[in-house]
Order: sequence, then structure tokens, then C-alpha cells
Amino acid sequence: MASTPTTLPAPGVSGGGRYRATRRRRSSTWVGWSFILPNFLGFATLTLVPVIASLALSFLDWDSYSTPRWVGLANFERMIHNDTFWTALRNTAYYAVGHVPLTLAAALGFAVLLNQKLRGVQFFRTALFFPYITSLVAVAVVWNMLLSPDLGPVNQFLRGLGIDHPPGWTTSTTWAMPAVIVASVWRDLGYYMILYLAGLQTIPAELYEAAQVDGASGWQRFWHITVPSLRPTTFFVLIMLTISSFKVFDLIQVMTEGGPGRSTLVLSQVIFREGITQGRFGYSSAVSMVLFVIVLTITVVQFRWQRRSER
Amino acid sequence: MKRHLVPTLAAAAALALLTACGGGGSSDQAGDGPQTLKVALWNYATTPEFKAIIDGFQQTHPDIKVEPVDILADDYAEKVTTMLAGGDSTDVLTMKNVIDYSRFGTRGQLVPLTDEAKKLDATKYSGLDAYDLDGKYFALPYRQDFWVLYYNKTLLKQAGVPESKLQNLTWQGYAELAKSLTKGDGGSKVYGAYQHTWRSVVEATAAAQTGGDLLGGDYGFFKDQYQLTLDLQKNGALMPWATASSQKVTYNTMFSTGKAALMPMGTWYASTLLADTKSGKTKVEWGVAPLPQRAADGKVTTFGSPTAFAVNKNSKHTEAAKTFVEWASSEAGATAVAKAGVTPSLQDQKILDAYFALPGVPNDAIAKKAFKPDQVVLEMPVGDKSADVDQILTEEHELIMTGEKSLDDGLAEMSKRVKNEVG
Repeated sequence: MASTPTTLPAPGVSGGGRYRATRRRRSSTWVGWSFILPNFLGFATLTLVPVIASLALSFLDWDSYSTPRWVGLANFERMIHNDTFWTALRNTAYYAVGHVPLTLAAALGFAVLLNQKLRGVQFFRTALFFPYITSLVAVAVVWNMLLSPDLGPVNQFLRGLGIDHPPGWTTSTTWAMPAVIVASVWRDLGYYMILYLAGLQTIPAELYEAAQVDGASGWQRFWHITVPSLRPTTFFVLIMLTISSFKVFDLIQVMTEGGPGRSTLVLSQVIFREGITQGRFGYSSAVSMVLFVIVLTITVVQFRWQRRSER
Repeated sequence: MKRHLVPTLAAAAALALLTACGGGGSSDQAGDGPQTLKVALWNYATTPEFKAIIDGFQQTHPDIKVEPVDILADDYAEKVTTMLAGGDSTDVLTMKNVIDYSRFGTRGQLVPLTDEAKKLDATKYSGLDAYDLDGKYFALPYRQDFWVLYYNKTLLKQAGVPESKLQNLTWQGYAELAKSLTKGDGGSKVYGAYQHTWRSVVEATAAAQTGGDLLGGDYGFFKDQYQLTLDLQKNGALMPWATASSQKVTYNTMFSTGKAALMPMGTWYASTLLADTKSGKTKVEWGVAPLPQRAADGKVTTFGSPTAFAVNKNSKHTEAAKTFVEWASSEAGATAVAKAGVTPSLQDQKILDAYFALPGVPNDAIAKKAFKPDQVVLEMPVGDKSADVDQILTEEHELIMTGEKSLDDGLAEMSKRVKNEVG
């Protein structure tokens, strides 16, 4: 760009200001990069490169030792014909369909409840947030004890109510997934409740006062003021919940290990088993690519939907 | 510059990953001075034979320092797989089970030990055959576990059952005994028997004693053993599988607190009992009998698995590592293992005597018979399908034991899935 001297602006001419501005812009770009760089390096080595490598691996047959062998779409073909993959896909969807709306509703409900000026409200907020910071293994073990078919308090309570044959919970193919969903809702709701509480604080009190003057009932106020005002929060919560639901692994791994049978087996467990346990990294990567595409699609659809409803 | 930054960084990161994976491989032997051998093992504090082997080896080989790499037992297989994938150079790897061994061996992750294995007297080593991969060996066994029946002497005495009844016990006799030994209710219930949640308790027993093939895809031979177990569970003589599984009940708690009178379990449990008795953790008076059989002909067939040491291909001290592995399976190593209360792979009279001379080890005629079974069948045959079949059998076992599937449906599903999914 500085090839001929004639293009160089003469000192004192108005162009010199532009030159300085360019230089300032360039140096601030460098400052910007230097801020991003440490984080980007971490992202690149720990996320970006593995994701790209995983995409490449999904077309290979590789056990992490021998030379990788190109197999084209064979891994995906095997997946389509594999019963376990479809079972896990169905289970993952089942979990998400249960976990997302229930957590959302519970978090919103408790947030509204705990947004009042009541005595001891701080205690209840802390109590509800507590499960989220508790070790997940402890959560899973305690829920397993509560739900134990014979001696667990839940079934003893149900028997007390006159139910002779309460469900076997985590040991029954019908009830294992609901049991896991209940435990996960209990664990997650505190975190999303905090997000909702933050959202609630931003709603101007005048809106409620005006509505009250106009004679709106509590339910009307909730439906016509609270819910619309919380739309940005709800959107964020929905996205985060959906992504975390499709990636669920740890709670199920400790509570049921995918059992009994395959009734709570989810996609991330298939990825773990096939890759780490069985050493079939190609197939495992193919499944993780499918999971990635599913989560990406759902997230994009949610963003589109949000943008349209904003118009 | 801006344009080149991203690709440069990506390339640098990729390079860093590649070099991390491709490291190791050279075996430059340290000339003089003490070498340090790293040995991958699990639960060092509670698995006494590791300390016994390392201490014993150190006494005779002061020039080689041994350093344990302690891994949580439950995570061992996955951890070692990941370590090897990352080019780790830990010198000696303990082969916790034969399926993982065959995987590491066939992938060329281990140093061949065929010559060393051929030097061993195969008739004296229980479990040596399990390490034969098409005529090649990559590990030498130092320990052999097999299943026996543990029993609570006090509970038997209270019920007026003579211990001699356990000498030639059939499964039918075991079931009757379990029912008669069951007593109490709720929290104070004592079960006649406890069978842990593992599928092997039912399936490997059936396979070993009927000659059935666990990889075959036809599982009718499980039927008797499942019927017996389900019947005991229904009768209340056995803790329900669902309870044991959802509460993560440990077999040690069930037996060492006197909550179960009879318990089929591996010989490894004896060392735990010995240590717990010594430290006062358990007051249960225990004995060991042969695993119950299908017929009362006095012959004992049980199942088990050997444990072995192997040398990592990436080791930088191959010769020293080989010395360690050979020593562990030698007579000196076997004696050290036996003295830790664990059954070694090398089983001659001298070593068995050392084992029974340990204070606390039951050394009556019943125990001696239990520790000298006529046949020990490998718990799970080794092949490239083993891990997949194991997964399917485990899943269907859960469904049968929780009553989610009838026995016939469960067995049919096992066969169908193994044929379709593993092929």
C-alpha cells in the first residue's frame, strides 16, 4: 500500500489525521488480539482442534493405536443399523422433553415465589441453589437411596398412602427415566431460578402498580407482565437447558449407568462406551457428530423462532 | 498477519497434539546407577499383594527402584487405555482382566514375552493359557482368582447345620440351605445367601459347570442357574437384585456384618477378610467351601480369572521391567503373593502350604478342597467380540433379575442381540 511516495499524505495536510487514525486502529486491534489470545489458545487446543479432529475421525476406523483406516461412511451406516444407537437417541429425546419444560417451569415458579419480600426468603433461595453446587455423585447416590424400591422413603410413603405396588424407580424400565428426570430437575432448578430472579429484578414496579390500579388479578399480572418481560431470560434458559439436556451424561452414569437394560442409555454414554471403553474412536466420533448436528439444529431453530417472535 | 494467525495457531495446536501422541517408543537403557520402574496398579493401600511383590522384589534387586502408579480400581481399564493412547511410558502395566489384555496385546502396545512364558512350567501355572494370543505371549500371570463359597460359621452353628454339609454341596442343597438360614425382618434381616449383582455370579457359573459358550449366542444353558436365583430372590432368601443395585450394596458389607450366611465370591475376598479380621473391622467367623456344583460327584468346577504383569512398549527400561515381571510370576513372587493372603498363579504344594500357614486362613479339609478345584474355567473367553457380548449380557441380566423381562424372553433377547449386533 505504501509503494509510491506520491500516495503518502504530506505532513500538515488533512490526510495525516486519517493516517494516525489508521495506526491507532491497528494498534488497538493488536491490543484486542492480545486480550483474546490466551482464551482463544485454550479454546483452539481444547475445543476447536478436537472437534475438527473428531469430524475427521468419524470417517476413519481407528483404535487410537494402529494406523487409522479410511472407511468413508461405514461408521454412519453402522449407526443407522444399530439398535443401541436408536434406543439411545430415543432416550436422549425423552430425557430432554421431560427435563427442559419441567426445569423451566419449576425455576420460574420458585423465582416468582421467592421474589416476594418475605421473612427468610434468603434462606429458601440458598436452599434451592444448594443442590447445584453439591457434588453430582452425592446427589445421585442420595436419590438412589430415596428411590430404593424396598426400603426407600419414597416408596414407604407411597405404601403409607395405600399404594400396594409402588414403582421400582431406577430398577424398572418404565420408571427409571422419570426418576432420573426428577433428580436432574431438582439439581438444576436452583441455577435457572437465580437467572430468573435476576430477570425479575429488571421489571419496573410501575408496571405492576399500573396493572393493579386497572384491577388486574395476580394471574393476569403474571401472564401479561412477568412472562413477556422475562422473554430474553426465558430464551437464554431454554437454549442452555436444551443443550445441557442433550449432552446429559454424569447424572445418568452414576444413577443407573444406562440401565436397567438400556432404558436410560443416552447418546453421550454411547460415545463414552464406544470410544473410551471399546476403543472404537471412529464410530464414537461419528455418534458425537450426530449429537453435535442435532444440538446445533435445535439451537438454530430456537434462535430463528426467537428472532421471528421479536419482530 | 491477521489473516495468517488462525491457521498458524491451528497448525501449532495440531502439531502439539500430534507430537504428544507420538512420543516415546525408544528404549534407551540407562547404563549405570539405579533405574526407577513405574508400575501401574490399583488401590495400592487395600490390595496387599502389590506391596508384597514390590517389597519382595526390592530386597533381591536393590539396583532397581520400583514406584507404584496408583489408579482407582473402578477406573483402571479406562485410565490405562487413555495413558497408552497418549504415549505414556509407565514401564509395567498390571493386566486387570484378560479382555483388556487381548486388546492391548493385539494392538501391539505390549512387549512380547513369548520366550519368558515358554520357560514356565504350564502344568503348574493356573491361567497361563489365557495369555496365549495365537502362540504369542505379552504378559506373565502372577495371581489366579477363582470362585468359592464363603460361609458364616456362627450362623451355621446357630441353625444347627454341620459345616461338613458344605463339602459336596449341590446348587439344590445350596438353595435349601439358604432358605433355612434366612431369618428376621426389616433392618435386622439375615439373608440365607447373598449373590452380588454381577452377571458372572449366575452366567459364568452356568457356563463353567455346563460347558456352555458365553460368546456363542445361544444361552439356553443359563436357564437352571437363573431359575434357582430368581426362586431364592422370590422366596426372600436372597436380597433382591433391585435393592442391591439401587443402594449400591457392597458384598463386603453384606458378609462382614453378618447379614448373609452364604456367599459365592472370588478368592480375592479372603485377603480382605484376613486384613479386616486382623484390624478388628469384622468379627465374623468365616470359612471357605468349594463353589456348589450341579452334581454331587465330588468334582469341583469353578470359574476364575488370572491377573498378570506386562511391559509397556513405550517403556524406557524394558530389561528391568522384564526382570520385574519374571520375578513376580516366579516361585519367590508367588510365595510373596501367597503370604499376602492372595492365591498366586503358580500353585505347587509348597506355595499352598505357605498360604494355609497364614494366621487366620481357614485350613480345614473343606477349605483345602475349595482352594484346589479340579477345573478353573476362564470367566469370559477372550476374543474380539468379548467386550460387546459382555455389554449385552449385562444389560439383559439386569432386566431378568429385576423381573422386567421373563426368563425365557430375556434369554431369547440375549441370543437375538448377540447374533444381530455382534455377529
